Amino acid sequence: MTQAFRIENGGLINRDKKLSFKFNGKTYFGYEGDTLASALLANGVHLVGRSFKYHRPRGFFGAGVDEPYAVVQLYRNGETEPNIKATEQELFEGLEAKSVNCWPSVNFDIGAINNFLKIFLPAGFYYKTFMWPKSFWYRIYEPFIRKAAGLGVASTKHDKERYEHKYEYCDLLIAGSGPSGLAGAYAAAKNGAKVILAEDKPRFGGSLLTSDVNIGNQSGKDWAEGIIAELKIMPNVVVKNRSQIFGYYDHNMLVMSEKVSDHLPSTKKYHPNKRLWYIRAKEVLISSGSIERPIVFGNNDTPGVMLSSAAKEYLKVYGVLVGRKPLVFTNNDSGYETAIEFKKHGVDPVVLDSRKNAESEIIDEARNLGINIKNSYVVVAAQGYKKVKSADIASISDDKKQLGKIENIECDCICVSGFWTPTIHLASQSGNKTKFKEEIDAFVPGQSKQNEITLGAANGVFSLDETIKTSFKAGSELSKKLTKKDNEIAIPNVVEKKSSQHDKFWCVPLPKGKNYKRFLDFQNDVAVSDVEIALREGYRSIEHVKRYTTLGMATDQGKTSNLNGLQLVSEIENKVVPAVGHTTFRPPYTPVSIGAIVGREVGKHSKPTRKSPMHSWHEKNNAVFVDAGVWLRPRYYKRGNENLFEASKREAKNVRTNVGVCDVTTLGKIDVKGPDAAELLNRVYTNAWLKLPVGKARYGVMLREDGIVMDDGTTTRISENHYHMTTTTAQAANVLSHLEYYLQLVWPELNVNVVSTTEQWAGAAIAGPKSRDLLQKLFPNSDVSNEGLPFMGYMEGDLFGVKARIFRISFSGELAYEVNVESDYGNFMWEKIIEVGEEFNIQPYGTEALSTLRIEMGHVAGSELDGRTIPYDNALEGLVSKKKDFIGKRSLQRSAFTAEDRQRLVGVVPLDKKTSIPEGSHLVKDDKAPLPNPKLGHISASCWSVEYDNPFSLAILKDGKNMIGEKLFAMSPLKNKVIPVEIVSSHYVDPKGERVRS
Amino acid sequence: MQKYSIFNLVKNAFSNHQNWDLAWKDPTPKEEYDVVIIGGGGHGLATAYYLAKEHNITKVAIIEKGWIGGGNVGRNTTIIRSNYMHDENGLFSEFGMDLWRKMSQDLNYNVMFSPRGIINLAHSDAQMNAYARRGNSMRLNGIDAVLLNREQVKEIIPMADFSDNVRFPIFGGLMQPSAGTARHDAVAWGYARQADSMGVDIIQNCEVIGFDVNAGKIKGIRTSRGNIKAKKVGICVAGSTNILAEKLNMTLPIETHLLQACVSEPVKPVLDKVVTFGAGHFYVSQSDKGEMVMGGDLDGYNSYAQRGNLPTLQHVLTEGIAMMPFLSKLKMLRTWGGIMDMSMDGSPIIDKTHIEGLYLNCGWCYGGFKATPASGWTFAHTIAQDRVHELNAGYSLNRFSTGHLIDEKGLGTKTWIS
Amino acid sequence: MLYINCPHCGMRSQNEFSYGGDASVKRPEINKEVSDQEWDNFVYNRKSLRGKHLELWQHISGCRQWIKVERDTATHEIFRTFKADEEVA
Repeated sequence: MTQAFRIENGGLINRDKKLSFKFNGKTYFGYEGDTLASALLANGVHLVGRSFKYHRPRGFFGAGVDEPYAVVQLYRNGETEPNIKATEQELFEGLEAKSVNCWPSVNFDIGAINNFLKIFLPAGFYYKTFMWPKSFWYRIYEPFIRKAAGLGVASTKHDKERYEHKYEYCDLLIAGSGPSGLAGAYAAAKNGAKVILAEDKPRFGGSLLTSDVNIGNQSGKDWAEGIIAELKIMPNVVVKNRSQIFGYYDHNMLVMSEKVSDHLPSTKKYHPNKRLWYIRAKEVLISSGSIERPIVFGNNDTPGVMLSSAAKEYLKVYGVLVGRKPLVFTNNDSGYETAIEFKKHGVDPVVLDSRKNAESEIIDEARNLGINIKNSYVVVAAQGYKKVKSADIASISDDKKQLGKIENIECDCICVSGFWTPTIHLASQSGNKTKFKEEIDAFVPGQSKQNEITLGAANGVFSLDETIKTSFKAGSELSKKLTKKDNEIAIPNVVEKKSSQHDKFWCVPLPKGKNYKRFLDFQNDVAVSDVEIALREGYRSIEHVKRYTTLGMATDQGKTSNLNGLQLVSEIENKVVPAVGHTTFRPPYTPVSIGAIVGREVGKHSKPTRKSPMHSWHEKNNAVFVDAGVWLRPRYYKRGNENLFEASKREAKNVRTNVGVCDVTTLGKIDVKGPDAAELLNRVYTNAWLKLPVGKARYGVMLREDGIVMDDGTTTRISENHYHMTTTTAQAANVLSHLEYYLQLVWPELNVNVVSTTEQWAGAAIAGPKSRDLLQKLFPNSDVSNEGLPFMGYMEGDLFGVKARIFRISFSGELAYEVNVESDYGNFMWEKIIEVGEEFNIQPYGTEALSTLRIEMGHVAGSELDGRTIPYDNALEGLVSKKKDFIGKRSLQRSAFTAEDRQRLVGVVPLDKKTSIPEGSHLVKDDKAPLPNPKLGHISASCWSVEYDNPFSLAILKDGKNMIGEKLFAMSPLKNKVIPVEIVSSHYVDPKGERVRS
Repeated sequence: MQKYSIFNLVKNAFSNHQNWDLAWKDPTPKEEYDVVIIGGGGHGLATAYYLAKEHNITKVAIIEKGWIGGGNVGRNTTIIRSNYMHDENGLFSEFGMDLWRKMSQDLNYNVMFSPRGIINLAHSDAQMNAYARRGNSMRLNGIDAVLLNREQVKEIIPMADFSDNVRFPIFGGLMQPSAGTARHDAVAWGYARQADSMGVDIIQNCEVIGFDVNAGKIKGIRTSRGNIKAKKVGICVAGSTNILAEKLNMTLPIETHLLQACVSEPVKPVLDKVVTFGAGHFYVSQSDKGEMVMGGDLDGYNSYAQRGNLPTLQHVLTEGIAMMPFLSKLKMLRTWGGIMDMSMDGSPIIDKTHIEGLYLNCGWCYGGFKATPASGWTFAHTIAQDRVHELNAGYSLNRFSTGHLIDEKGLGTKTWIS
Repeated sequence: MLYINCPHCGMRSQNEFSYGGDASVKRPEINKEVSDQEWDNFVYNRKSLRGKHLELWQHISGCRQWIKVERDTATHEIFRTFKADEEVA
């Protein structure tokens, strides 16, 4: 097919490179440098989608980021992506796209029935109906509405693309490469400032690419190219196209999304799809330009109605005529520029100017070219369904209230210009309180909030001369401040045509007897009548209007609709626009890829993984791992076809009968050093620490200030002023910060230093009746007898030439030791233990067996220390000193904590001695009681006691102290289980603790 | 009051929708009210509604600094659930679930309550056990809960990450089938419309600047629109609680923090459940418009700014992709922040105060939206009867002094850790 | 993302720090009797001011020092930062 609407010459596309692409299954051709939008328009395709609510046919309205309609489903390299703006998507060979939100096709869309029902579907109609019958909303109405909504289709496949992050610092960040951005960048760069210049489009130059101006005796476009070429080779300048600064965050942090590969058929190897830049800028120049706003008239959503600036851009940048019989409808001079471009390419436009009389150089030029100009004329309504066929036009009275006789003129596109809206989003995001500028009927930035300055059209300045001058000056002054250099550069001479005042006119009244939809928000189908209803019903705040009508909430974020909406509200409410105020601009300026925001932390890398030095040994020996925070720990070592239950039982049993070894490297370790170390420990732990001798360990419990147990562990006095503290795996980081908090802020007088040594030491727990025999063989030169190394004793030893720390501590309740060596020797230590332990039938054991061992001994762990229990609840009140003060002690006095029937740790055994009680079950007195059934406590941990060969659980039970011997029910309704149980002591095995001392 | 129905909608269509009444009026403040509710958010509006409906107290004003529904009721992720472990929270929220189920009919305003179910994903056996504890507690309290294994989760949400390339595999989840979502703005507007129709004055753009307290008794409030006498005053201002407390010389166990949320561009229906990630803080549901509604962590420092920073969202979305990798291909459309009244045990306060006639409703953390009806109902009861109802008896202000804490997460007083 | 001037290390991005709450809260002295009210004020009650707020941060991925930061909770503007032992005038 030929590109019937492509002009012979001109445009910035590469005509040497023809590209084929598919739209809705049909093959078309375009050129390199096209967008999907320009290529479709070149082929005369205007109908690209259907609207959200009424499924009305929609075409192209803009030529860039402001596009409200032309949202397509894109297919690229075997993947699909929803909601791509055709006006932003660059064409590549083989591109495929489809229309969205239409069925069966964009040409014939069943959903368009809504268009005929539209009188029944005003703003907020769904709040007023679908309420009966009661259950129908969720079952019938909602699924129907859900299906109708949504634009494209999300692929549920994993994303194969890669996204990167980059952190940058610069002196001056410039958002937008139009005249202002270029001038500012150039001046600052010449002063040696580190500059980043960002442009969201593929081509630099902004408005200079389409305007008929002269800078420094060159065309605007050539001047822009020259500046860019110079900037690109300067070492202190980064120039980025396809890069959208979408967020202005606190403390001058801006974030930019760079499209690295979207314009290519597939992403190159080792390249990301997108790159997210976090940029901390010292100064920010916002030169984001302005967006043309529409004038509202009947059926203004018909394909073929578009912004006049877009029509001009399609012509000048892409060499595409959006129509051969254009009607230009304007309230200012910009429309004339578009008309002139048409005329220059042999097309005769008609210009309707709402102004009665306007005179300017541009208008003169248009008139001299013989363009048909009708003053005091407006478009009343576009005619045509899937494409503009004609327009109803009329003259309009001076007060803009009365329409003259309606005439119909043939046209194939309507190019509309309602003047310009500065793009103030970034300034507003920065915290800038914007102000309304009457002369341009729009908001502009007010007082700078952070280090930002807004210049050019973004600041409501539409004179190129002024823009160039102020921007050169700003670039030079901002950089001078930072670099102390002042390289004067001559500001180039600017030649532009003067324009005249725009008409404060934004909406064409309805002709008598006609009820045309006049759209404000095109994607969300919000019309003038919808806003009128909202206000009539009392939804008067602009936020209410927005939420009730969904004005400005579509994927274009209201870039073309917000101001017209405000004008309407201000008119009806009889308030000035600034009194109506606008809704807050929040990042992102334009939708940003979630993949890009997330970057590389996906899949297995979404969080770090910590492994002990013995990890590869565990892997080789069939360990099944479990996540413990970000650590991986062996849960059990699988032998043959064993399952978790069998393996852990075997491992636990072997500890009780022989000896086992467990990797305890993950425990937090903190070195506590200094003359006041004992005093610190005495304040941090609930028990007494001042008299712990060198070479001894002690178990301690620490509380939060609210009296709740924070952590537990053993701490060993290595030497006079040196303690080795251990924490649970989960709390390691918190405990360190906790200690630092007290040392640095609360008790700075304590002369103590703390540092994490978790990574420095590899640890192995050796537990079981034969552990001493094994230890003796591992340390033949040390006296590890009960006298030489008593329970809670500590010594250093020599492990085949490696210095080791030996602690006689036990979590399993058996005779046990913990050996630490420097991490690099961890694997060596482990292999030696396994090798030497062979004669004692050593087996490694994982966390599951560890759990069994501790449960039947009544030792508490994470499932009891759940951030809600006090020492008493865990049967640890013996460790709470009555004599001294410690962190959290004062909170323990509270009545709930001292109540007679306070909850407390107990043991639980099923009466049948067979049925395991699921963890998370609750204990109740009466299993048949009506709901809510009062809960007395919950099962915190369960195991199969290897000692007694029956199930055993721990529970935290109300009045647990007085409940021993009681019969209750353990209920797990989730698992349909009711188990009669008996409450027993939590010390199920070796209640006197003889084994650890043996 | 005009009734909203399909018939009325059709009827009004033929008069071009010119004859719809105001949903609520815009009165000037009267000199005196029986009850003044400060805060025209969901909770305040619901309180006024139930004062009128349940207690026949209609000489009521709602005083709103900005526009009604502009606070957290309009800035949340619309999740409604009662999947709590502690009795105080569970029974209170389940009472609220009943009110949600009949709210559209009760208010004659379609709040689009959609009981589509919520799934909390678990990523370890330990977490499954913790969820079992909560789920069993729910069941014993008469709340629906189902424990799902990995396969069952996969059947319901196959788009979650069940691949091998996953850091924290899904072990299963806890589902409350009756939980769901609602149209948040509609809740505020629906309550406002009914309260208004029963005589409640909704006074917008009126800022409270002080209180009149005499001999330990509340006498009225001072506002930007003049002084208003009141026999009773209820404070219901979420993230602004501390600002008003300061005017009363009260210091509360509350910090104000920022929570961000975001939505993706709308896509065709792909997810019909609310799903939360268990290995971090992330939750997602899909709105009727097709947007994926997502949220997670607090920004992590005291803030009144309704303005967040990207790293928090990056962190939240990282967990989002870890849970549902397909989100990667979507685009983040809109972000916003709400300021949360974070209480020191994560549970709310609905109570009388040491000042006679002054009542406090605050500390909702990020769970305020779902509580709207139950909070309004119990607060209205507390104000009308001058005593707490058994449903909110646990939500007392002095529980921090007595130690009767209601800590669902076990995180204690560091409210910025979510 | 906040940009915090660590008095020990210089300007650093917020992600190197962890937050520690209101710095004006003083822990009652150890070994000293305190009233319920004093204790509750320390453990639970917070002014949580809108506007200037003196707060604690720890430079957790840096020097690990706790510092005090004076920040506006409405605008996030940081006015001054202090070392742990520096008096705030």
